[in-house]
Amino acid sequence: MFCSKKKPLEVKRIVKANDREYNEKFQYADNRIHTSKYNILTFLPINLFEQFQRVANAYFLFLLILQLIPEISSLTWFTTIVPLVLVITMTAVKDATDDYFRYKSDKQVNNRQSEVLIDSKLQIEKWMNVKVGDIIKLENNQFVAADLLLLSSSEPYGLCYIETAELDGETNLKVRHALSVTSELGEDIRRLANFDGPDTKLMQNSGKTKFKRTSIDRLMNTLVLWIFGFLICLGIILAIGNSIWENQVGTQFRSFLFWNKEEKNLVFSGFLTFWSYIIILNTVVPISLYVSVEVIRLGHSYFINWDQKMYYSQKATPAAARTTTLNEELGQIEYVFSDKTGTLTQNIMTFKKCSINGRIYGEEHDDLGQKTDITKKKKPVDFSVNPQVDKTFQFFDHSLMESIKLGDSKVHEFLRLLALCHTVMSEENSAGQLIYQVQSPDEGALVTAARNFGFIFKSRTPETITIEELGTLVTYQLLAFLDFNNVRKRMSVIVRNPEGQIKLYSKGADTILFEKLHLSNEDLLALTSDHISEFAGEGLRTLAIAYRDLDDKYFNEWNKMLEDANAATDEREERIAGLYEEIERDLMLLGATAVEDKLQEGVIETVLSLSLANIKIWVLTGDKQETAINIGYACNMLTDDMNEVFIIAGNTAMEVREELRKAKENLFGQNRSSSNGHIVPEKKQQLELDSIVEETVTGDYALVINGHSLAHALESDVKNDLLELACLCKTVVCCRVTPLQKAQVVELVKKHRNAVTLAIGDGANDVSMIKCAHIGIGISGQEGLQAVLASDYSFAQFRYLQRLLLVHGRWSYFRMCKFLCYFFYKNFAFTLVHFWFGFFCGFSAQTVYDQWFITLFNIVYTSLPVLAMGIFDQDVSDRNSMDFPQLYKPGQLNLLFNKRRFFICMAHGIYTSLALFFIPYGAFYRDTGEDGQHVADYQSFAVTMATSLVIVVSVQIALDTSYWTVINHVFIWGSVATYFSILFTMHSNVMFGVFPNQFPFVGNARNSLTQKCIWLVILLTTVVSVMPVLAFRFLKVDLFPTLSDQIRQRQKAQRKARPLHSRRPQTRRSSSRRSGYAFAHQEGYGELITSGKNMRAKNPPPTSGLEKTLSNSTSWIENFCKKTTDTMSSFNQNKTVKL
Amino acid sequence: MNKPQEEQLSLLPDNTALKQQRLPAYRLQLSASKVLSGFFATGAFCLGMGIILLLSAKSIKEVEINYTNICASCAKLRENAINFDKECSCSIPFYLPEIMQGNVYMYYKLYGFHQNLYHYILSRSNTQLMGKNIKDVEKCGSFQKTSNGTPICPCGAIANSMFNDTIILLYNLNSSIYIKVPMLSRGITWWTDKYIKFQNPKSIDLPSAFEGTAKPPYWRKPIYELDEDDPENSGFVNEDFIVWMRTAAFPTFKKLYRRLHRIQYFTEGLPAGNYSFNIAYNFPVTRFQGEKSVVLSTLTWSGGSSLFLGLVYTVTGAVTWLASFSMMAIHLMLAKRKMFFPNYKVKL
Repeated sequence: MFCSKKKPLEVKRIVKANDREYNEKFQYADNRIHTSKYNILTFLPINLFEQFQRVANAYFLFLLILQLIPEISSLTWFTTIVPLVLVITMTAVKDATDDYFRYKSDKQVNNRQSEVLIDSKLQIEKWMNVKVGDIIKLENNQFVAADLLLLSSSEPYGLCYIETAELDGETNLKVRHALSVTSELGEDIRRLANFDGPDTKLMQNSGKTKFKRTSIDRLMNTLVLWIFGFLICLGIILAIGNSIWENQVGTQFRSFLFWNKEEKNLVFSGFLTFWSYIIILNTVVPISLYVSVEVIRLGHSYFINWDQKMYYSQKATPAAARTTTLNEELGQIEYVFSDKTGTLTQNIMTFKKCSINGRIYGEEHDDLGQKTDITKKKKPVDFSVNPQVDKTFQFFDHSLMESIKLGDSKVHEFLRLLALCHTVMSEENSAGQLIYQVQSPDEGALVTAARNFGFIFKSRTPETITIEELGTLVTYQLLAFLDFNNVRKRMSVIVRNPEGQIKLYSKGADTILFEKLHLSNEDLLALTSDHISEFAGEGLRTLAIAYRDLDDKYFNEWNKMLEDANAATDEREERIAGLYEEIERDLMLLGATAVEDKLQEGVIETVLSLSLANIKIWVLTGDKQETAINIGYACNMLTDDMNEVFIIAGNTAMEVREELRKAKENLFGQNRSSSNGHIVPEKKQQLELDSIVEETVTGDYALVINGHSLAHALESDVKNDLLELACLCKTVVCCRVTPLQKAQVVELVKKHRNAVTLAIGDGANDVSMIKCAHIGIGISGQEGLQAVLASDYSFAQFRYLQRLLLVHGRWSYFRMCKFLCYFFYKNFAFTLVHFWFGFFCGFSAQTVYDQWFITLFNIVYTSLPVLAMGIFDQDVSDRNSMDFPQLYKPGQLNLLFNKRRFFICMAHGIYTSLALFFIPYGAFYRDTGEDGQHVADYQSFAVTMATSLVIVVSVQIALDTSYWTVINHVFIWGSVATYFSILFTMHSNVMFGVFPNQFPFVGNARNSLTQKCIWLVILLTTVVSVMPVLAFRFLKVDLFPTLSDQIRQRQKAQRKARPLHSRRPQTRRSSSRRSGYAFAHQEGYGELITSGKNMRAKNPPPTSGLEKTLSNSTSWIENFCKKTTDTMSSFNQNKTVKL
Repeated sequence: MNKPQEEQLSLLPDNTALKQQRLPAYRLQLSASKVLSGFFATGAFCLGMGIILLLSAKSIKEVEINYTNICASCAKLRENAINFDKECSCSIPFYLPEIMQGNVYMYYKLYGFHQNLYHYILSRSNTQLMGKNIKDVEKCGSFQKTSNGTPICPCGAIANSMFNDTIILLYNLNSSIYIKVPMLSRGITWWTDKYIKFQNPKSIDLPSAFEGTAKPPYWRKPIYELDEDDPENSGFVNEDFIVWMRTAAFPTFKKLYRRLHRIQYFTEGLPAGNYSFNIAYNFPVTRFQGEKSVVLSTLTWSGGSSLFLGLVYTVTGAVTWLASFSMMAIHLMLAKRKMFFPNYKVKL
């Protein structure tokens, strides 16, 4: 049972079915999904409250209040309030739009229709109005938007098949039973709403959405704190300066001026000065920083949404940045945690190849006898003669069809086995087409293949299996069903054919089955074994196929023993297992099948490219170890070139610890011996890079760990061993893990490696991991929505991850870093001149610039060019970003913006502020204008400084911008032009005439900026500020070019004649031998089949008509009410919906 | 997913250059040729400009006489604020060895006078000074009204502390005759200041225009008597007043006081010879440990350019050239290395 946080643990729920009044007493939550935050009335107060909770905004509010104190005020009120209002309005608009979209999507879910029994009638009701205790009628293929208790279904034994794609992305059907007491109640599926709205298992499991922050965010916050500390230091220096100055000069000067103010206390004067300077210098951390960062991220998010190369046309799904605040983190990913099913694989199994009696079918041979890969260009086998074909099935080798036609008995037997030995249920739809209900997609693939080759599984009863063999219906008697389990790794059926022969058909893992073969199979075994290795080498899932002829007598004896065993009370399982062993021997090998667990498109290339980018990929899957390893090989994460693949599969803590220890020993041991061998220079370079981060080992290792072991390994004392081992491995595969474990693994890496993690998945079982990782990605365009809803980014195909990270992520990071560097530089240069000026103006908190300039500098004069750079800049093209995954590394190592970089920017800013202040100071100190007038008046000085500053920072951004689009041109030139036009407007006679107190700089621009010496000063300032930076950058690129620099140079050369870039060849691993048994299979289906529980007595067409249901609905309701009201009182709904 | 066709199409992002981040763009690349030629050009320009500025600064003739201590007795008198009404003048003879050719400007220069204090700069009323509302003294801080409540005109600390020495330059024509060097007291302000920023209130005559206001406490005369010879130059539009009101950025500053009227003996400038400054010493600089001097100066094409600008230009130019030479050397060395080790390039 789950409980919500506020209420005490809910031990039981008392619900009276179909009694809304009674249930209302308990005030269970309603079924409305409510994720939006505001409504029209609450928006303003709540939003403002939230905004001022942000430290930055609160800080600026505090400054604003300070400014209103006349003794402290050193800036006019508008210098702070204009940017603050602008920032808050922009954020509010963004919040409002976000919330509106949330509201819209809620509405869509809430308004889905359901049929609810109200007043003894079925009524159409919106899902949001469904109440706890309601009885709901569901029909085939309906959405379910609450946790339900299955009361009854139209299927026999109250079974129902549910698809949990929206929960876990798995499309195979899961069986749920109704309770026996309720199961006889009616035909269609009827369910009792048990948990609603926020109480649903899903909503409770989804956990609180944590507010994700990027590492740049955290760094930025630290830096802002540092800057604030720096600010306080400056303030203190100036305050002390003020006290000293007042003491030595100020008091005398004041008395000379007849300044009638009461004698000031020196310390108090210093104190006031401190606050005044805090106000003036606050522009070091301009309020527009946070907004600009948001705007840039928003821009990057739109680029992701707009990217045609991440649009999946088959499902009409574009990529979507659902969170707009994490983009640059995409450029710093070190670990990718990937789900398997639906993410790496399509969860589609196709029958690819088989080996029958030593001959491989399914391979194409060209004229030279060379094997070629099956390509789409080849003509597939034409199955149209067979009316029952599954049209989606394609096979390219015509020789198998020929063999069937020639009547090769082994081939027939092989296909017959496929048609007989399985747990598939068949059904005919209204069009008379056969529909298979498969419990595992592997089996589906095999049975479908047999069907297309003319061995059509038609129907089954508990005692018989009817198949159509090349046009003739044959009914086999099903004598025994030897079910699958994890130890046996095989399943068998024993059937009697119409001729009366008894046969055992078996399929299973090659390793297991090969031990059971008759000795006469030796040659065939060797051949088939080779074939299986070959299949496995291609990443196919293999099964060995064998049969055995049984004579009546033997079987009867055996069967009797089996019945005894079944009846036995003690050691029943063991006895049965023994009997199974007994009969499944001396098998005759038929061959092997190879099923492809279809990878998503481009997975191999993506994995390769990401690993070149030094991104470690961990596969976390609920699948079995074999399946997981298989996929690991299929998508090249595991290769035979690897020095070792460690498999941790211990069941106890001790075992796990021991295994981990051994693996580590092994790893370091091998490393020691191989390290004095050859080291590739490239590797060496990489080592240097990594050496700070972690110990490195040469050679590739992989770790496979299963869920049980993981549970132990995640315990505190072994955790570090696990982590250490795992991080040294190139690939880590965790199989059979629960959703919670997925999150724990992510958390482990996140916490202890201090690395940026990304989780990608498609189902609800990935939600916790998606939420836990720094970046969560949901595969969209599939039925399941939960992963997408929890994710930060979504797209339809795993392969888009490559583009998202290597192009969008890298650019975002690159741009954000450039932006931040420039922004801090700019504001240091802008603000620190006040500090220098303090020493000349008696520390009186006089600003250097005009108040309007201070107001507009960050939001008008310099905001757009840097935003344009932050949004559009590219160092290398997207194509080169993809072609050279190594370009991604600076992001992982956080090279482009870190504390060191920040200090460089800060030093740059301080240097510029020195040049900005002292060059005009030196020049003006004695200078006069062309008309003999003094130029060193405060206003001219302010205008000169402001103009120099705007020009210097514009030149700087022009140098920083490496990708000059039209927009950059417009913004950069436009900003300078805007500065001058605003300057001249504000200094115009008209403005002064209307507002003499606000615009006292009348005539200043035209008088100052027509002086030659002022332009000489501006020019000199620009040269002195920019040249050293330029020289430094040039030397850096020349002496220590980064990969990006080199590629940029190449790019330039390439542009004229671009050679066709050859894509990296797909590397497929050479064959290797692995056990390939890989059923996505559950135990227990055999029993279901033999008991006939999952079969209808007759085969009525699926009923969906409402009239029919209504006619008998009263009866089952009455029955139901009588029988079940008291038994309903408490339920473990784990039985109802299993995640 | 059985969405209608149009919707599917609409989901496909537009194939525009902007949305696909394919905007045609110039890729800025700091190539060696560009950077080095830029550096050479800049260096050449700065060096040239520096030399020109240095030469022109050299050509400037300048005489500065610090008279704080020369007129020690007056300074002593002014130290006590009670004596502010008493007159005191002193005469400072000096010899000009060379002719000062062309326009000659006379400045007063103050040391240690902080016209740039925050509260000082604010202590003025623009509405009053533009003649709009002479009784608007709200922003003038401590100098709003006299003790009996009459608004001060011009109000504020700036106006109150106006420089009020009178400096007359005398030329020793021959052994005994000193003639007054003709000086212009007008044309020493910006047009915008004189005609926009400072305006006398409209009235029949000046005294009535300023009726109902009091003179600043530190002043001897009311505003409308600032220039007794020229009523056009009196009131707020008095150019000495305007010059003073344009506050200086630094504690040491010089302000234009007079310019030479080039007539009679002075059409070429100030001829060499003996001169004397006659100074009515009113401004008490010693009280705040300041100093004051009087400056005569000529100008060049760029104004009264100082050595500083020329010097910094020259140094910048030299350093830039030095930097470009060393950068070139480094670059060529690297190019050589690349030729011998072609592997240095991008590894693919």
